[in-house]
Amino acid sequence: MKDPAPIVFVVDDDASVREAIRNLLASVSLRAETFGSTREFLSAQRSQSPACLVLDVRLPDVSGLEFQRELAIGGIEIPIVFITGHGDIPMSVQAMKAGAVQFLTKPFRGQELLDAIQEAIAKDRAAWERRAQTAEVRARHDSLTPREKEVMNLVVAGLLNKQIAAELGASELTIKTHRGRVMEKMQADSVAALVRMAEKLKSSAVRE
Amino acid sequence: MPSASSPAKHVPLAVHFGLAVAMVSAALGLTILLRNSVSITGYIFFYAAVVAASWYGGRWPGVLAVVLSTLAVEYYFMPPLHSFGVRREFLPLFIEFAASSLVISWFSSWRKEAEAALTRARSELQIRVEERTAELRQTNQQLVAEIAERQRAEEAYREAQAELARVGRMSALGTLAASISHEVNQPLAAVVTNADACSMWLASDPPNLEEVRAAVDSIAREGTRASDVIRRIRAMFTKAGSEMASVEINDLIGEVAGLMQDEISKNAVELHLELRDGLPATIADRVQLQQVIVNLVQNGIEAMTAVEDRPRRLIIRSDVTPAGEILVAVSDSGIGIEAKDQKRIFNAFFTTKAQGMGMGLSISHSIIEAHGGRLWASSNGVHGATLQFTLAAHSSTAS
Repeated sequence: MKDPAPIVFVVDDDASVREAIRNLLASVSLRAETFGSTREFLSAQRSQSPACLVLDVRLPDVSGLEFQRELAIGGIEIPIVFITGHGDIPMSVQAMKAGAVQFLTKPFRGQELLDAIQEAIAKDRAAWERRAQTAEVRARHDSLTPREKEVMNLVVAGLLNKQIAAELGASELTIKTHRGRVMEKMQADSVAALVRMAEKLKSSAVRE
Repeated sequence: MPSASSPAKHVPLAVHFGLAVAMVSAALGLTILLRNSVSITGYIFFYAAVVAASWYGGRWPGVLAVVLSTLAVEYYFMPPLHSFGVRREFLPLFIEFAASSLVISWFSSWRKEAEAALTRARSELQIRVEERTAELRQTNQQLVAEIAERQRAEEAYREAQAELARVGRMSALGTLAASISHEVNQPLAAVVTNADACSMWLASDPPNLEEVRAAVDSIAREGTRASDVIRRIRAMFTKAGSEMASVEINDLIGEVAGLMQDEISKNAVELHLELRDGLPATIADRVQLQQVIVNLVQNGIEAMTAVEDRPRRLIIRSDVTPAGEILVAVSDSGIGIEAKDQKRIFNAFFTTKAQGMGMGLSISHSIIEAHGGRLWASSNGVHGATLQFTLAAHSSTAS
């Protein structure tokens, strides 16, 4: 699995703040894409790489906190670093509870922002890897025949070959062959590994 | 027996009858004794006895006195003497005596009863008057208590209202402060971020001077922008929504005096208006100018709250300066302004008062300056201070 360069999205209605942040990120060789509103950000093409969002609280179309909620509802997972010109404690508590990485009050020091951005990117990279693994497992699962999928479900449910054979009305030898192919296609070296993969598939299915 | 014997409520009836007997006996004795020595017409002592018995004893002792007198007269003085027979020629005399003594008795006891009834009525009346007076006194006390309670409630209500207005002002200011700080923090964020980027570019090897120059330019630009924001806010405060029209200052002072009447009397302040007749009009924003005068009056009242040893006197004076400008002066007999504070009192958030925000005079100063006038403070010598402002006269409407 290759590791693409991370990207920082900046949404702030103030052009000079956007440019200053872009400049700061460039000075530490971080790629940035800036937007004047949440709409612009949503309509932009997002590349498949670890990312984070630097989000102003006060925006012309929708407040940053509101947008954080919208993203969560839309199932868009991206770590958020809030910046605000006039923040108060309840506001920052709300943002942090909803999963924000950091809540910075303008004017903030460059290093504070960079630290928060690094933390957010690390968080997204972990999530990104998790998603990539899930996608891989799903691809393998998709390569199974319907019969093999049935066998896999019963195996992870803890049934023995004999029981599975009885359940599916086939000979124990046939089940043994199916089972060998499932383990091979899923690249599982033990039943425990297969169970973990099944869990991963299930939880990602639930999320979708 | 009915209430006829009421004058002697505590004296038994027997005593009254005894009195009647004693009176008649005394009359008989006196008549016999004095008949030969003094010339006595008729039976005056018997009449007196009947009157006395009827008066003091009431109706029935009176009747007894009449009967006894009649018998005594008949027995002792009507021929044939010492017998109960009456000669024919003395019969009219005897009847006259009996009838007249009966009439006297009746009249006397009637008078007595009437008088007793009157006395009784008087005392009853007096009791009733006293009761009523007591009731009235109690009602009056209740009223006084209710009035005091009502005054307290009104005071509390007014204080609550003032507090509400203050909180309202504070929250409006809070909102304003939030928006100002947002406006100013925006360019400041850009300045600080650019400065930090600068350090980074300088620290890289080799230093990227082109990026450094761009960031420094940006810092200068954003610094100017921050000061623009502040200038804009100041302008908003002094000019916003300004509606310039011809204003009669004396009318405006009268309005403010009316508006502040409550505040003035609540603080036991005497207000004197010394308004110059025929003052020229000025071109001004009426509402803002009214706000200035209210602020100055409020300031004067607050400067006198601690004054107890002299009248709290507030004078609003209008005049024309030698240069033809309109002058409004508000003088108080309060604590005065120290020389070192005479300029500082116009700074925002400067206050010498425990409960002041320090905004009133600062805002007033800005308003008067925006009108091209001047507002200044001076000391009154012994007590108090004068705050006064000048405004240009609007020549065409001078009257």
